[in-house]
Amino acid sequence: MKNLELGQIENMLEKQGYIGSGSIAMSIFLAMQLEKPLLIEGPAGVGKTEIAKVMAKALETNLIRLQCYEGLDSTHALYEWNYQHQLLFLKMQESRGEDVKKLEETIFSDRFLLKRPVLQAISQEKRPVLLIDEIDRADEEFESFLLEVLSDWQVTIPEVGTIKASQKPQIILTGNRTRELSEALRRRCLYLWIDYPDFEKELAIVKTKVPEIDANLGEHICRFMTELRQLKLEKTPGISETIDWARALATMHLTHLDKKVVEDTLGVVLKDWQDMRHTQDALSELLEKTGVTSRIG
Amino acid sequence: MDSSLIRHQTEISAHVVLLCRYLRNKGYTVSASEEAEALQAIDKLPIDRERNFILSLKAILAKNRYQYLNFIEHYEEFRFHLAQAADSKIKNEPQKEKKKSKAEEEQARFDALKSWLNLTPSVEEKNIAAFSDIEVLGKKHFSNLSEDEINLMMRLLKKLAKKVAHRKSRLRKVSKSARKIDLKHTIRNSMRNGGNVQKLVYSKPKNKKLKLILLCDVSKSMDLYSRFFVHLIYAFQNAYDKIETFVFSTALHRVSSILDNNDFAKAFDIVSDRVPDWSGGTSIGSSLQDFLDDYGYGMLDKKTIVLILSDGWDTGEPEIIQTAMKSIYKKSRKVIWLNPLAGSPDFSPEAIGMKAALPYIDALVSAHNLESLKFVLNHLKYRRNLTKTT
Repeated sequence: MKNLELGQIENMLEKQGYIGSGSIAMSIFLAMQLEKPLLIEGPAGVGKTEIAKVMAKALETNLIRLQCYEGLDSTHALYEWNYQHQLLFLKMQESRGEDVKKLEETIFSDRFLLKRPVLQAISQEKRPVLLIDEIDRADEEFESFLLEVLSDWQVTIPEVGTIKASQKPQIILTGNRTRELSEALRRRCLYLWIDYPDFEKELAIVKTKVPEIDANLGEHICRFMTELRQLKLEKTPGISETIDWARALATMHLTHLDKKVVEDTLGVVLKDWQDMRHTQDALSELLEKTGVTSRIG
Repeated sequence: MDSSLIRHQTEISAHVVLLCRYLRNKGYTVSASEEAEALQAIDKLPIDRERNFILSLKAILAKNRYQYLNFIEHYEEFRFHLAQAADSKIKNEPQKEKKKSKAEEEQARFDALKSWLNLTPSVEEKNIAAFSDIEVLGKKHFSNLSEDEINLMMRLLKKLAKKVAHRKSRLRKVSKSARKIDLKHTIRNSMRNGGNVQKLVYSKPKNKKLKLILLCDVSKSMDLYSRFFVHLIYAFQNAYDKIETFVFSTALHRVSSILDNNDFAKAFDIVSDRVPDWSGGTSIGSSLQDFLDDYGYGMLDKKTIVLILSDGWDTGEPEIIQTAMKSIYKKSRKVIWLNPLAGSPDFSPEAIGMKAALPYIDALVSAHNLESLKFVLNHLKYRRNLTKTT
């Protein structure tokens, strides 16, 4: 993976349909230049994971994803022996009367090694993008283990030996701040915060992702979403919900929003019944702020 | 290279080094390696664009949301101070002054805590001299404790807190000291030996860690108790693994990592320094709403207990508290409100904030002596009970 200039990064994001900002391009640029992991935090659905996908696509390299969850341990992140296959193999060879020492060498070889994301990432020939998604959901013990791997870039498998990374993967870590990450991890990363987009940025995203959408409808949707996020909702909708909604309404060949359309399709945007009820109560006001009062019917 | 260009780059490097030093005082964890990275980064960028210069420093030096969102403001402050320092050479004088009055401040804070509420000690409290430390401290009002006793009490509290830090889960984990045979793992391990069981594996129930969120009011009306309550959340922070702590007055500030990584005196100084609205007005409702907006989605679930430490005096609309509390109550396992005023015999929850929050509280606890705190710890063990306790 070659290092790109700042302008090239901006072009790369644009080409992949990712409407970013100067801060995002700068963080990616520095992460690549300094070969440091990039820690991205922000509310759900603002495009944190998308950055890793776009990077892998633009750099024509593999994206390896490690989805974190409570209880995730090193066997799920590094490697595991395929015991079932080893057992079957042993039983088959036993009947043929194979030499035990030779058998042992075979069963602890690459053939029976299940490479998990971190090992996969360090054993790739071309520098991949390793996405460690929702790191804050993993336990602190796993975070410490990860720090160790990330600092040495090598993994020791007792039966095989030490595997050292030929090229450091480009690491993107994302988090929703369900718990505070350790200072040690933060120190090792560059930091990027992504918030909900403003109206102009969201409109540009909608136009890029749903090019078939009517310009007027696109504007209405984005204005509505901006106002909707001002309500105190249980689950504030992100950009992904805006895109889903825009796609749904574009499929229906609509050219503007009205009260009935919003009521009928609100389930695409909101995923909590109390949020639905709260929004329905405030719908007239929301539409008025969105600027579509005259069309309420 | 052109000599003027070299001079320009040297000036920029000196500027970055000074900025790093300034940010360190602001609470940023800027180590020598970050400083080197910042210099390396500006070396790779065209130096004629100030925007790029600031963005690159922000990406490297900011390590959390607060720092990221306030970086430009802090950078501007730095430039202002730099310009001022160049004009007059009195840069460090305010700090000296601060050091001088620190001991006096400590004493004043402690005296204030001692005069907390001015409750008359009960007969029991007057006759407890012969009992053990725990018994003595248990019913003694905090206002009658010496600083050493407060420290001792915090140690006792930490011990008690650790006892209820775990609950048994239905999931099991492999353990050498366990007595129950784990068939699943025994068979799985036997596969390495061609299916012959050579070693038995034992397991015991896993511990479920308790998740706690502490929200502590540090507004003007809480001045008397703030230091004590920060002491309390410090003790909790060090007893539990899964805990997040916040302080608020007009805005919300996350302080978990400060309390985690420093001794109490240093942690208290950093927290009070870093919270610009410390001892300011109160806006409980909007602070709780900020907590919900920024962290609620990820942090609150049915395993999480929320502890709010506040007297309930609020200047905002009660509806805002009500909406926020309703949401917190719905999303969490339990909500416990610690009110320093509730220890008074004539206490009734008349403060606007307290009144609005009351329907969404599982327990309202006085938090004025160790007994009441033991009561809080006891509450942490059990699920939501619809009966309200005052």
